Amino acid sequence: MVLKRPPEAGDILQGTLDMLILRTLVTGPAHGHTIAQVIEHTSENALDVEQGSLYPALHRLEDRGWLSSQWGVSENNRRAKFYQLTAKGRKELAAATGRWQRMTRAIGLILGEQNE
Amino acid sequence: MSLRRFTHRSQKDNELAEEITSHLAHEQDRNTERGLSAEEARRQARLKFGNPQVTRERVWRYRSIAWIEDAWRDLRFALRSLTKTPGFTAVAVLVIAVGISVNTAVFSVINTVLLKPLSYPDPQSLVQLMNLSPHGSFPMANIPKFNTWHRQTSIFQQVAGYDVGGAGMNLTGGDHPEQVQGIHVTAGYFALLGAPVVAGRTFTTMEDSPHGGHVAVLSYGLWKSRFGGNSNIVGSTIQLDGQPYLVVGVIGRSFVTDAPADLWVPFQFDLTSQEMAHYFTVAARLKPGITLPQANAQLKLAVDEYRRTYGTNSLSSQDGFGVVSLEESIIGDTRFPLLVLLGAVGFVLLIACANVANLLLARASARKREFATRAALGAGRSQIIRQLLTESLVLSLSGGLLGLILGFAGVRLLISISPGGIPRLGEGGSAVTLDPNILLFTLGISVFTGVLFGLFPAVSVSRPNLAATLNESGSRSGISFRSSKLRSALVVSEMALALILVIGAALLIRTYLKLQAVDPGFDPHNVLTMAMSISGDRFQKTMPVAQVIRDGTERLRAVPGVVDAAATNCLALQGGFGMIFDIVGRPKGNAPFTGGAGFYSISYSYFDTFKIPLLRGRRFTEQDDGSAPGVVIINQAMARQYWPKGDPLNDRLQIAPGAGPAFAEPPRQIVGIVGDTHDDGLDRDPMPMMFIPLAQMPDAETALNSRVAPLWWIVRSNVDPHTLVTPITAALREASGGLPVAHVRTMEEIEIRTTSRQRFNMLLLTIFGAAGMLMAGIGVYGVMSYSVQQRTQELGIRMALGAQASTLRNMVIGQGMGLTLVGVVIGIAGAFWLTRFLASFLFGVKAWDPLAFIATPVLLSAVALIAILIPAQRATRVDPMTALRLE
Repeated sequence: MVLKRPPEAGDILQGTLDMLILRTLVTGPAHGHTIAQVIEHTSENALDVEQGSLYPALHRLEDRGWLSSQWGVSENNRRAKFYQLTAKGRKELAAATGRWQRMTRAIGLILGEQNE
Repeated sequence: MSLRRFTHRSQKDNELAEEITSHLAHEQDRNTERGLSAEEARRQARLKFGNPQVTRERVWRYRSIAWIEDAWRDLRFALRSLTKTPGFTAVAVLVIAVGISVNTAVFSVINTVLLKPLSYPDPQSLVQLMNLSPHGSFPMANIPKFNTWHRQTSIFQQVAGYDVGGAGMNLTGGDHPEQVQGIHVTAGYFALLGAPVVAGRTFTTMEDSPHGGHVAVLSYGLWKSRFGGNSNIVGSTIQLDGQPYLVVGVIGRSFVTDAPADLWVPFQFDLTSQEMAHYFTVAARLKPGITLPQANAQLKLAVDEYRRTYGTNSLSSQDGFGVVSLEESIIGDTRFPLLVLLGAVGFVLLIACANVANLLLARASARKREFATRAALGAGRSQIIRQLLTESLVLSLSGGLLGLILGFAGVRLLISISPGGIPRLGEGGSAVTLDPNILLFTLGISVFTGVLFGLFPAVSVSRPNLAATLNESGSRSGISFRSSKLRSALVVSEMALALILVIGAALLIRTYLKLQAVDPGFDPHNVLTMAMSISGDRFQKTMPVAQVIRDGTERLRAVPGVVDAAATNCLALQGGFGMIFDIVGRPKGNAPFTGGAGFYSISYSYFDTFKIPLLRGRRFTEQDDGSAPGVVIINQAMARQYWPKGDPLNDRLQIAPGAGPAFAEPPRQIVGIVGDTHDDGLDRDPMPMMFIPLAQMPDAETALNSRVAPLWWIVRSNVDPHTLVTPITAALREASGGLPVAHVRTMEEIEIRTTSRQRFNMLLLTIFGAAGMLMAGIGVYGVMSYSVQQRTQELGIRMALGAQASTLRNMVIGQGMGLTLVGVVIGIAGAFWLTRFLASFLFGVKAWDPLAFIATPVLLSAVALIAILIPAQRATRVDPMTALRLE
């Protein structure tokens, strides 16, 4: 049972991580280690989290049906679990990106006004 | 969300572990590529990933429903820790069970009487027609009123009239004659109440008209018991009051009326009648969408219509018509006493809660080190509170389950000692059954009590001062200042609550004793009473009734052991009819008549048989019959009220002025004044009453009486009247030509029944009060003996320094009695405020009766003193050496 509660700071960050994961997978399936590295590079280490914290997010997104996964063989010839964006996940990414942009624009406006 | 989240947790965890291994391997590969040594590559990969175990735990927790697992763990722990102290657990569960069982029992009755909807279809739209007057409202009707109400088709869908009690009918023609409960109804009755017809049909309008023939509808019970469920019963003829009645239908078993009926016969009203006698009640079903206020507004208009039709004198200008919901009317004034009862048992439950809270506090104090250890190992405060609450909920739910069982046994006891006249309980309380309401109620109070008594100790011990507690030695890690204050507060509130209950009980005991001391105005000893139904065509005129009475009286007097016998249409202590009258020659002012009084038709030997003293004038004699001039005897209350100065014996009474030609009679001479009797019940002041000879009743009135009430026989004997039942009933059967009698009871039994309500209230509150007092006593004993045990060392030192044993004892007594006195003072204040709700139960005692308010605190203090003496005595036996060595 999940209780609905208003999003807090942690949830927003978590939402951001979710969005970054989805964004990473737009280009194609990837396993956990790749996803971690891509996020690390593209976010200029801004979200410097332990790599381990990626996995709860991955599992959560899969449960929601935004990702699907299957075991395969990686570029290093090792067994790895590959994640792939589902149609539902693509839709969610679009929605989340829109939300994110609206919010950053709003934040920008507020900060800009204060600066004047 | 999907259930996927919670399934296959172990499998998913294994997979995650593999995933993490894969991740680490990839990171390690990358580090190796950057030129790190294998060892360093591995180390850095691990560093960057963080603790894999934490990741797995996070996913595992995400996949679990945390509170269920926590609750399950708490529950197992609670069961383990409670079974380790079986004595404590048993006492606590028992105390809760007692508290909950009385609540469940009382709630079961309330549920049946007040909460369950009527068993008729769409009960909300059923209403009872009422007469409104400045003195209150009453539900009786006469034919003109019924006729008027019947015509209010704009608000009523159906209107039906029916007998309240009924006279009883004699069912003959089988092996033995039997008096059955026959209810007169109008044709619309069955449709109004949605009675299911299992065979045949109900009455037609034609059958419910004058001369509509003798027809009857049987109840399921009578059909089964008397006619063996004969499938050919419809269309056959039965003998009722010596007349053949055609059975037209049988009503289904599910149809239960509050005054149980064996069979129904049609009223056959002549709707053009101007007869003003009230002898039945009327119920109606509101049209859909019509509210009670709308119906009442329309009935205001109906009053004018009624006056136009039947004359302005037919209804006094202050009177009117109205409706109340049928349910409300059936429940009547039982609601308030039941709610007071619920309040009292609520107190018992609170005392039980305080008691268990105290036990738990003591237990929790003793477990302080355990909690401190757990806190040191990382348990949060909320976790400790949750653990303790789980324990108390386990206790309260076990107590609740036991209480439910005890309560259900208790409710049978409650009903068996309850006075008759609680509506809707069914035959022997059969309507009180276990239903979801009761289960929910019991579950609700169990959880409530569990939280209530669990929360105090839980909160108080969960503020551990870790270092201090862990460092203390076992024996000294005792009661903290806070929890000792809390325990004292609990004892004080127990005392206060118990005192309120006991004061209530004392008031009711005093009431009952006062009632017992009331002189009923007659001698009830060795008097047997019985009812003879005379509802047949034979008794439509006064002469044959008078003849049966004369014969019966003679035959009864001839029975060995019988001293005297008489007949009456109303039985003393059972309430009677009311009647209006004029005093001939006295101006009435604006009123339509002089006044009203109780009205008894009696045989001439009535006063002698009951030993009611004659104060002035003469008694009736055998010569006061239909051919002699009309006479009337009044009681002292009537003489006092209407002749404060004059002499009643000089006056004549016109009884039932304006009652219509059939009831018209010449004025009656007042020939005597008799002593007052408490006929409306011992707790009521005697009412003005008039007595006339049965032999002098107008025929129309005899016909009406025969229809609505049985003839009561009273027989005084000089031996135990129970031994004379057989010869007496035989004599009456001979005298009446074979009529059976029913309701054979002694007057003393009837007297007991009239005070049964007070006895019931007294008994219950005394039981509750005693239970409360006992629990409060146990409570104060527990606190004081715990305090003595905790202070062993202090006491030992005091002794070593030369304190006398008596000083120590007095110190303990002083502390215990201090708590008691605070509780008593609060209790007196509370009782002072609360006993006002008992005022309507009291008779001859004020709600602030000084005796109750002085004697019960003394009693309670005495109980507390006995409880305190035991630990106080123990305090004196402390051996200083042992106490000091305990260090």
